[in-house]
Amino acid sequence: MTRYVLSRLGQSLLLLVGVSIIGFGLMHLAPGGPFAIYTLNPTVTAQDIERVKHQFGLDQPVYVQYAKWAFGLATGQWGYSFFGGRPVSSIVLERLPATFELMGSSLALALIIGVAIGVIAAVRRNSWIDYTTTTAAMIALSLPTFWFGLLAIYLFAQTLGWLPAGGIASTGGGGLMDRLQHLLLPMLVLAFVIVAQWSRYTRSAMLDILDQDFMRTARAKGLRPARVLVGYGLRAALVPLVTLAGLQLPLLVGGALVTETVFSWPGMGLLFVNALGTRDYPVLMAILMVGALVVVLGNLLADILAALIDPRIKLGHV
Amino acid sequence: MSDVLLAEIATVAPSGRAHVLRRFLRHRLALLGVIVIAFLGFVAASAPWLAPYDPDEIAIAQRYSPPLSEGRLLGADDLGRDVETRLMYAGRISLSVGISAMLVTLVVGFAVGAFAAYLGGWIDTLLMRLTDVMLCFPSVFLLLFVAAFVTPSLSTIALMIGLTCWMEIARIVHAQILALKSADFIAAARMAGAPAWRIVLRQILPNTLAPILVAATLNTANAILLESYISFLGYGIQPPQASWGNMLTNAQSDFQVDPWLAVFPGLAITLAVASFNFIGDGLRDALDPRVRD
Amino acid sequence: MTRNDKPIDAQERLDDEGASRSLVESPADRMSRRGFMRGSGGLGLSLPLLGGLAPSLGLGLSPGRAQAATAGQCVLGVTQEAVNFNPLLYVNTGVETSVEFIVFDALWKLDPEGKFLPNLAAEIPSQENGGISKDGRGWTIKLRPDVVWHDGSPFTSADVVFTLDTLLNPKVTVRSRNGHEHVESYNAADDHTIHIKLKDDFAPYLVSWQKTSIIPKHILASVPDINTAPFNTQPVGTGPFKFKSRVAGSYIEFEPNPKYHGGAPKLSSLVQKYVPDQQTLFAQFQTGEVDIFDTQGIPPLLYAKAKTLPGSKIELSASPFVEFIYFNCGKPQFADKRVRQALYMAIDKKTWIDAVYYGVPTPTLSYLSPRHWAYNKNLKDPGYSPQKAGALLDEVGWKVGADGVRAKDGVRLAFTMSTTAGNKSREQAQQVVQQQLKKINVEMTIKNMPASVVWGDYTVKSQFDTLMVGWDPLLYPDPDYTDRIHSKLIPAKGGTGSNYVQYENPEIDALCAKGVSTVGQAQRMVIYDRIQEILLEDLPFAPIFAYQVIIGVKDRMHGYRVNPYTPINSWNTNEWSVS
Repeated sequence: MTRYVLSRLGQSLLLLVGVSIIGFGLMHLAPGGPFAIYTLNPTVTAQDIERVKHQFGLDQPVYVQYAKWAFGLATGQWGYSFFGGRPVSSIVLERLPATFELMGSSLALALIIGVAIGVIAAVRRNSWIDYTTTTAAMIALSLPTFWFGLLAIYLFAQTLGWLPAGGIASTGGGGLMDRLQHLLLPMLVLAFVIVAQWSRYTRSAMLDILDQDFMRTARAKGLRPARVLVGYGLRAALVPLVTLAGLQLPLLVGGALVTETVFSWPGMGLLFVNALGTRDYPVLMAILMVGALVVVLGNLLADILAALIDPRIKLGHV
Repeated sequence: MSDVLLAEIATVAPSGRAHVLRRFLRHRLALLGVIVIAFLGFVAASAPWLAPYDPDEIAIAQRYSPPLSEGRLLGADDLGRDVETRLMYAGRISLSVGISAMLVTLVVGFAVGAFAAYLGGWIDTLLMRLTDVMLCFPSVFLLLFVAAFVTPSLSTIALMIGLTCWMEIARIVHAQILALKSADFIAAARMAGAPAWRIVLRQILPNTLAPILVAATLNTANAILLESYISFLGYGIQPPQASWGNMLTNAQSDFQVDPWLAVFPGLAITLAVASFNFIGDGLRDALDPRVRD
Repeated sequence: MTRNDKPIDAQERLDDEGASRSLVESPADRMSRRGFMRGSGGLGLSLPLLGGLAPSLGLGLSPGRAQAATAGQCVLGVTQEAVNFNPLLYVNTGVETSVEFIVFDALWKLDPEGKFLPNLAAEIPSQENGGISKDGRGWTIKLRPDVVWHDGSPFTSADVVFTLDTLLNPKVTVRSRNGHEHVESYNAADDHTIHIKLKDDFAPYLVSWQKTSIIPKHILASVPDINTAPFNTQPVGTGPFKFKSRVAGSYIEFEPNPKYHGGAPKLSSLVQKYVPDQQTLFAQFQTGEVDIFDTQGIPPLLYAKAKTLPGSKIELSASPFVEFIYFNCGKPQFADKRVRQALYMAIDKKTWIDAVYYGVPTPTLSYLSPRHWAYNKNLKDPGYSPQKAGALLDEVGWKVGADGVRAKDGVRLAFTMSTTAGNKSREQAQQVVQQQLKKINVEMTIKNMPASVVWGDYTVKSQFDTLMVGWDPLLYPDPDYTDRIHSKLIPAKGGTGSNYVQYENPEIDALCAKGVSTVGQAQRMVIYDRIQEILLEDLPFAPIFAYQVIIGVKDRMHGYRVNPYTPINSWNTNEWSVS
């Protein structure tokens, strides 16, 4: 097991290097750059812009810039933002908690509700419950989320005035109640979509399991249906569910860009959107690497957990 | 003798066509999906003949007219252009983008997965690692980066979306072909002396088709949704051309003056995407060899 | 095929089950067109997302405002985030200028009438009081003795000298030299007096100091690299408010400076709140979470409704930005000025202003707003006439070809027009213009790109055909426009300025030089009148209107005054109060 984990970690490192190369390359090859904002400012001359370019090292060939950046990253120097000169690490770290808060609560809520709905739909297959939930889930996954979020703000914040129209807390801080009020709408909007996915997924996994012999055996043995369901069924479904959970882990860090933007939620997603707009390369690369790292770790975690739960799964088999 | 043997072996492959069709037709939602898509497709295709107005005709005096006023079924937008007409023309764009993107995904994904699985060795490792690397990008990121590269148009957007979504198909194909390589009936066919291309065409392809078809429909759904998000970003179809995505984006800023403008494009997107999703679901159920009849 | 020999990689497992990983929130990004950059000087860039003019519930303050903090607190709402608070280094003019005005001081201010008011200086130097020498190049500035930095240290001339040092230091990434590159030498005569000698005659130098806030020597002189100093996020100034705290991505809080030399502020707290979306900000303004809606202001679409909001005042703030269509004179279609004139006549500016911007901006025929003292009131509008436009084009040889588009010598009168993608108002205007040009057989294609692309090399290296853009003069309110019209200042041809249209006219060059070296408003007016006349004749860029920002202010705010000479109206926060 340890050998497998180590080998996977080694592979992950290579993957991350690959990601960094592709990301860095794409970023620098794309037209436009961080200087557009200077152009818009009439007091900045083209000469000034050249000077700034040199200062940021952007007049050097791409591979030189990459080498410098990679070396810096390896030694813990994440660089400084182009706009404000703040260290990238503090910029990124100060936004993580907000994203955790939003995504963590949404994922937790969605998981519980989603799995429950999925199990019910599987057990009552082809009933009206099944049809309604499946259809509703499908529609939830087909809605453009920005549309949905904005409608929610329009209804609950503006028309009814029950909830604030965005932000993480009121200015000047706010108590727990205040934070919860701000969290509710974006969390629900996000959870709506995630519930849809989890319910479908659980349903599909449960359907497979319910048909299998060992379930019938358990029922024939006279165990109570609920016990059979949870004790045997759900446990068997854990493998694919855990896998999905592992794959959704990156969301905890990457955040949900649209939702954060629509609700002015100061998390990683909004940071990314702004950094991309201004072409703040150091910040962009940092967010990319953090995101990719979590993807890779999430995958690994899911695989390990799956193997731990189901001894039939042999790790490292290809 | 070999032909007879091959023919018999071919029938061992799961699910004859009639069988699948019957199962699909029993899936009510999938059927509904097909009907809706057929309808949307028909309206989109016949837009130049069916549409009552010119999609770019500006009529400031009639801006923001609600549905069923000024002789317009769905009203007029912020520049007085007819919503019904634009919705139809937009359908042409959005549906085309969806399907083209799906085709790109299929071609690239199948190529990568098949090459890797069939050729094996270091090519296999290289290609699949590349797939892994691409999957490590938070999905948005890749799309944005690529979007920054190109001037948006129907073809470039379809290409962009296609190039960021092929990884799944590659993996599915890879897994399928790998599994198939060692399957009994393939071995039998090889023993019977069938040439490689025959095996690929008559044995491998039909077996990989099922999950690919499902993935294809789901990809189309996703592509249409992605087009709306790209439009939101500003990388989408440029004015004055209409797509459901950019119509919806534009409607947001006019929301309290004319909320109707946001209703129809949003509905169109949801309908199309949901229909493709239902079809995909139906296909999956129909093609699933594990489901006993 | 059995399940057991399928690969067990997590992703493949899921693929097999058909879970589409991209369905959760994935495509959800929206590049922040909503005012992440000051395109056209940042106006009209924002893409409003959310509607919401629901009847106000009239319950006073909404859930978004912590009750305890509201007494004496003012919340200023803006649509972009300020990240760099160093007045010399920040890039985002507007929201970061706001922080500059709140925390720092310059030697003098500009009031809404265009008059200079001494701030850190004891008086405005002039030739009458001996502050400026006879030849206009020697400046003696006397500083107030009673100014103290927020950390208690006294403010002296050493700080001013240090500020100049930093500005002129080639190693420092300053946003702009503000015209101080004309300085030849400078020194501190004593703790409260500065002597400056200019290299040449430079009339706008007074404005240079209005735009330059002073930074503290005792903090920054010992910093290894000012570009990345912690000071940039924890500023210490001499201004009416002290920087208190910042919640990333959300707001910045300031507290009053009781020792302010202009009098202690009347507010108990000032907050600059960042809401990326214009319409959401409007919603917050409506409910009272935000007291002032500044920077890009209220979208013109909501102007009519905003005026009916109870409990608030809507003011129009004239802005230095003028909207143009920029013609790339280096491209064959636009080389002949008569083509540009014809195109100008084919555009209905009135519809543009009324339909797209709801009549809010002011029409103008020059790069200045009609309210500016140097505006040439005798300019004649060529008017809107597609017939005359078509006739002029025919006359010059651009005849309609077989494909319905005019052409001459193998060049079609077809071109692209670019601006920031996602800017709703501009897109509307482009489509209106496109239709109007179609009527005279000119083919215009819309080619919009994200801000960081279109305003990068595409503009700077003159790669565009035409642009729809808004810009202001370098050292507004000074009417000097050399940077954008001087033939030696074309970056695409190796110059160093902002003459992106590649306009070359020796008479203009001479007039520009004369304009900055002449002292005396009356004499300068004559020169700038002539410049504006020539520009309207040559039309390297077609002026359409001068922006007016729609500012929303709650009734409980007092002392707030819109200032057409500053990019944001936080210039007099020490006078603000709430009831």
